[in-house]
Amino acid sequence: MESVNSVLNKSASESVCWNFKLLAHHELAGFGGMGEGMAIQVAKDGRRIMWLAHESAPKNFTGVDVSDPRNPKLVVQTDLPESFMRSNSLELVGDIMAVAYQTQKVGQKPAGFELFDISAPEKPQSIAYVDASGPTSRGVHQLWFCDGEYVHLAAGAPDFKPTHPQDDQFYRIFDVRNLSRPEEVGRWWLPGTREGDGVPPPVRHQAPLLDRGFRAHNTNVYPQRPDRCYLGYIDAGMFVLDISDKAHPKPICQWDNSPPYTGFTHTVVPMFNRNLLIVTDESTSDNASDWPKLVWILDARDERHPVPISTCPMPPVDAYKSRGGRFGAHNIHENTPSPYAWHSEDIVIGTFFNGGLRAYDIANPYQPREVAAFVPPAPAMSPVGSIQLNDCFVDERKVVYTVDRFSGGLYILEMDF
Amino acid sequence: MARLIPDFAALNPGYQFYQVGGHMLELFPSPTAGPFGRRLKRERGARVPVTVVTGFLGAGKTTLLRHFLRRPEGAGTAVIVNEFGSTGIDDALLRSSSDNVALLGNGCLCCNVRSDLAVTLRRLIADRERGVVPHFGRIVIETSGLADPSPILTTFATDRALGGEFHVEAVIAVIAAPNGLHTIETFAEARRQIILADRIVISKTDIADEDAPPILTRTLRQLNPRACIIEAIAGRLEPQWILAVETREGAAGFMADAAIHTDEIASFTLVEDGPIAWDAFARTMETLVALRGADLLRVKGLLNVAGCAGPVVVQFVQHLAHPPVELERWPDDDRRSRVVFIARNLSERQVKGLLAAVRAVLTPDPALRSPPATARPGAR
Repeated sequence: MESVNSVLNKSASESVCWNFKLLAHHELAGFGGMGEGMAIQVAKDGRRIMWLAHESAPKNFTGVDVSDPRNPKLVVQTDLPESFMRSNSLELVGDIMAVAYQTQKVGQKPAGFELFDISAPEKPQSIAYVDASGPTSRGVHQLWFCDGEYVHLAAGAPDFKPTHPQDDQFYRIFDVRNLSRPEEVGRWWLPGTREGDGVPPPVRHQAPLLDRGFRAHNTNVYPQRPDRCYLGYIDAGMFVLDISDKAHPKPICQWDNSPPYTGFTHTVVPMFNRNLLIVTDESTSDNASDWPKLVWILDARDERHPVPISTCPMPPVDAYKSRGGRFGAHNIHENTPSPYAWHSEDIVIGTFFNGGLRAYDIANPYQPREVAAFVPPAPAMSPVGSIQLNDCFVDERKVVYTVDRFSGGLYILEMDF
Repeated sequence: MARLIPDFAALNPGYQFYQVGGHMLELFPSPTAGPFGRRLKRERGARVPVTVVTGFLGAGKTTLLRHFLRRPEGAGTAVIVNEFGSTGIDDALLRSSSDNVALLGNGCLCCNVRSDLAVTLRRLIADRERGVVPHFGRIVIETSGLADPSPILTTFATDRALGGEFHVEAVIAVIAAPNGLHTIETFAEARRQIILADRIVISKTDIADEDAPPILTRTLRQLNPRACIIEAIAGRLEPQWILAVETREGAAGFMADAAIHTDEIASFTLVEDGPIAWDAFARTMETLVALRGADLLRVKGLLNVAGCAGPVVVQFVQHLAHPPVELERWPDDDRRSRVVFIARNLSERQVKGLLAAVRAVLTPDPALRSPPATARPGAR
């Protein structure tokens, strides 16, 4: 008789496509390890280009023509100058794209961000490079660029000496209205994380597994509230910052779920019409050893005092923890303020590494319901033997794009719910 | 406190009657969701579609299913078999065709194993989530030949009874051409299966007299004028005919010619030309359910609810109401409300009269309005 374990192991090879329809899968010419930068450009000739940041070298970014989502075509794929670099994050406005550069170790160069003219998608042209390298900096992990005027970064700086090596990246704002001469106009960090702050450093999470750093991750700013930054700050939870004076950002609130949860707050997406915040954790350890990593829904009627009211239900950890790689929340579709992004305050779509892509109906935010799931088979050459969906984006046509962290490349789907 | 949808609330003061979550949702109003929640592309939303295959003993239900499961469209189907008797022959036949076959206990779904069905469905979902059974996207229930479909439909009729997870997309009745007429005439269960079906398959036409299918078809039409009828040779049917969501959600599924059947069961369609106030419809159905719930075998319709952007699908089975669902768009240009009633000893005239009475009560009587101050006797 078959044991329960053998049945569970057998299930690891099972793929799921529930209320999504897979339209296409593109392996991106063998360089399918993708980061967390996804943005759509509609080029002057009418082509719709999906720009993707790579998770690691050798590739920098890739452009894919997704005009026909059933027949994506590789347009361009660029290389990083150094093998220790990663681009990881990108955003674009019109024909200008900003790309983040992070290095493996502090002190390495180049580290910072670069602006490209992508009006000719086949030939991205560098406009400006901003250096953020330094003796204690690994450069830029993430950036947000949606208004054509300011780039919001999770970045280190040459003049920033953290009190702990893991706390090297903080919130920085660059004015790029003069594209060829970006200027830093503001910054904010968690008090106690910079030497000389005059306040004690934060109490660290349990090492080694859960001590991931008190530093910035996503730095979202929306046109509905250009005076607010919705900031994920990893082991410090999340902040809403008042950036009406960009030179002096001020925290309005902090919400931190850890401990007792396991830290690494990643993204904060406001649902402005509904007074909700969607906050994600990131799973950063294999085999669900940092479980549970969740998508949280917060009551934000009083922005000074957000209150968690629910989490999006996860599939059972026992069904996924042994599939290989990470299992748990990561990126969600961020209602990016772009004419080519879908905006919804009723549906949350997110990636959960080997838990795949999942969609939740939050019309009743007290009882989010899973309405769709996509867990493709392990892609070829995956070092962990499972899918590791890393990021997702939904365009205004309701076409869903999601990428694998290691080798699977780009998956294009249609919502069917 | 802010209302969920102010305009809608003003027009329909009692709109919360069927609202899941009630006033708590008003704390987080969604500009894109309607008063019944997120507007759905289709009636089932994200729920697991369920097809109920019914038919009298020996009608050929299993043969039909076996062919469906062998087609690519049948992949990802979990099958629940309810076998009257102890041998489970049908289950043995189906196991080779589908990875997920659950055999319900001895007995008939309509009388004593409804809890079996609920438990089986819940277990299937739980096992799917845990990954211990292959992921399935559809459930087919093969009822025993003696089953009355009504209690099976009732099982799915509310959130509490699985309605939140599953959605019955179609009831398919299978009837054998050679002895179908005799079966219908002899057995009330067989008549009930035909009356409640969305689609009817005439099977075994290859071994029936040449004139049997057309004669049977005429009788079936009398019993159920709204169902599509098709003949299947050796159980072979195009899979789409079994899946066929479109016909259910199109206009055809919500209209029926009036018919009086045997067993005092009648069907008719209530049609309203203009937008209908939710409050009036909800109170009418509340009253009808309270007074005649046992006689409402199946009620289903599309409503043009005042204040709603899309059509609202309503469904009732006896005493139970499905949560209403607002669709993103109408299936066609017809914007009339239309609700099909299949009921025992209940006429269209009675339902229309009740609706009119409820409307009359909901509307203040103009004769009782206070006259303007200047018209009052003695007013200056």
